[in-house]
Amino acid sequence: MLTRRGAAQLIATAAVAAAWVGSKTARAADATYKVGLDASLTGADAESAIRVRNGVTMALDEANAANAIPGIKLELVPFDDGTATAGQYDPAQAATNARKMVSDKDIVAAVGPQMSGAGKAMAPILSEGGLAIITPSSTNPDITNPKFAEQFRPAGKPIYFRTVTTDAYQGPNMANFFADTLKVKSVYVLDDSGAYGVGIADTFQAQAEKKGIKILGRDRLDPKASDYSAILTKIKSLGPQALYYGGVGQAGVKLAKQAYDIIPDVIKGGGDGMYGPAMLTAVGFPAAAGWYASIAAPHLMGDTKAQTFVDNYVKKFNAPPDDYTITAYDATLVIIDSVKRVAASGKPVTREAVRDAIQTAKVDTIQGPVSFDANGDLADRTVSVFQIKKDPSAREDDVSRNYQYIGVAPQS
Amino acid sequence: MTNFDLLLQQTINGLSLGAMYALLALGFTLVYGILELINFSHFNVFMVGSFVAMATLQAFGLNGQQVILTGLPLAGVLLVAFAVTMTVSGALGVLIERLSLRPLRNVKGPAAMITTIGVSYILFNIVLLYEGADAKNFPNPMPAVRFHLGGAVLDLRVVLIWIVASLLMAGLWLFVQKSRIGKAMRATAQDPEAARMMGVEVDRVIITAFFLGSALAGAGGLIFGLYYNFTSFIIGFTAGLRAFTAAVLGGIGNVPGAMVGGLIIGMIEAMGGQFIATAWTDVIIFSILVLVLVFKPAGLFGRLAPNKS
Repeated sequence: MLTRRGAAQLIATAAVAAAWVGSKTARAADATYKVGLDASLTGADAESAIRVRNGVTMALDEANAANAIPGIKLELVPFDDGTATAGQYDPAQAATNARKMVSDKDIVAAVGPQMSGAGKAMAPILSEGGLAIITPSSTNPDITNPKFAEQFRPAGKPIYFRTVTTDAYQGPNMANFFADTLKVKSVYVLDDSGAYGVGIADTFQAQAEKKGIKILGRDRLDPKASDYSAILTKIKSLGPQALYYGGVGQAGVKLAKQAYDIIPDVIKGGGDGMYGPAMLTAVGFPAAAGWYASIAAPHLMGDTKAQTFVDNYVKKFNAPPDDYTITAYDATLVIIDSVKRVAASGKPVTREAVRDAIQTAKVDTIQGPVSFDANGDLADRTVSVFQIKKDPSAREDDVSRNYQYIGVAPQS
Repeated sequence: MTNFDLLLQQTINGLSLGAMYALLALGFTLVYGILELINFSHFNVFMVGSFVAMATLQAFGLNGQQVILTGLPLAGVLLVAFAVTMTVSGALGVLIERLSLRPLRNVKGPAAMITTIGVSYILFNIVLLYEGADAKNFPNPMPAVRFHLGGAVLDLRVVLIWIVASLLMAGLWLFVQKSRIGKAMRATAQDPEAARMMGVEVDRVIITAFFLGSALAGAGGLIFGLYYNFTSFIIGFTAGLRAFTAAVLGGIGNVPGAMVGGLIIGMIEAMGGQFIATAWTDVIIFSILVLVLVFKPAGLFGRLAPNKS
């Protein structure tokens, strides 16, 4: 039974509530949306993960400070896909992270993952959730290949974008470099059993065969094992001119150390998994010297345009960035630009709208204009090659100075 | 390389691996022989040992492979490193027994074994948190001296590993066979009740077993670092699992069995990598284990309970 006094109270409460809601909408001019990040912050790749996170943080901080999107702030929500038991990225953890991202309605786009194995686990979940992600470093081509669309984007539209090119270019272009520049005639190929490692080693091997390089064998390393002397002794007995390793640091570090003892004179190279400070600090010199490594992006460190970025980065984080810090920064710029365009068009900032905006993005970034093809791959396909050579005046872990830039690997 | 050189080289590789597995396997076997407990914390006592060894070597000012010592300084540094590493690892083993296993001594069922798995993860995560996840460049002061046997190469480090591992194992064998406490250990292994009635201090025996096993694991950790020039928080798992397999293969609870089992697993790993493929190493190792256990359920040298010395 509603008494008169009760009714008066009710009306008063409703009025207060309406006023409160009204003030909320008035302040909604400063809406906050979240940008997810998935990186391998625990495990063997933690150092590069931190640089990726720093790159994203920097781009968001700059945008928020400059009010780049009027009335909208972007907030970073980081997720770690590394686990102690795996010792590196763990696809199961990456899948869990993808589910968490999808279930947080405020996340409108994401950056990551670093690793292709994580990407393969995340892509189908993100596709179902309609959440676009831009990877700064995962290069396995299957994830964006339309042949595997049913597996990696079951919901249809591409949601996996990249600010690096793929191993469909990184592996083959390195094979071209081995054949054309280094004049290699025979090679042994190893991988680390991961999605990235197997994929890049496969594409390297296929192109090397096409270029007339003799493949003397192919084997797979267990990244948790410590001893690779058996396989290295076998390689020594086969006497190849070169060794190509597809994989990341966990096996790569041990391989480089033992290869220096057993096959010191063989030309040794790998993909972007062998590009990073672990090669310099954990392997050390002289064992690390001479290794070739590639990255699936143009070399920007030392570029004048990148210099401002590098200076600001060092000022903020007191450590040197690397090329994948830049691709992470660029990926974030693409997201900021896309959110901005959606907001400017007057449409609500939804995942779907942001995804569509990313698809049609033409953003001027540090690496140049970034745009994506119909599958989400970067339009630019540059692969850069480096060789480890000690710079006596540089800090031991300084990637930009102890990896000497050789050039762009020849395109097929 | 001729085929003979290749076989010789892979034998050298296999024996080095085997020596390390044997040192680790002894720890499993010592504890199992007395408590019938599979001590999974042993995996990471080995790993902690390699970090203790690294810290000790670094305390001498050694960094990476930059500082090379010879002669007496080298011998001195290595001796101190072995002494410190083995003492600290042994003490860690005793601590684990005292804190987490003794309270469960009379609990039936898998509680104690599960506890050792838990302790293993605690050690693993402590090192991960304090030392970080990246692989560490292990200091190695040994000069890169190499002997060429035909096409095969024998590294000075390898010779040292063999000598140290043999000395440690011979020492352990003598200790168990000849010393008073060693005899008490064998008596406890055979029949703990009877041993207790005859006046054997079972607690002391158990502590000794943990100390010796863990000290050997620590020595294994140091040898591992010197051999591979690296260490990381994750090295315990693969090495521990293979060493455990070696202990079972040789007959768990049996000291010579652990040594032989270690060498066999090391040789399988080397030869498998050469003639089949490295990717198949675990499949080969565990298939052989299954085969051996089907025909000799107690392992190569083991005898089935109740008499399991």
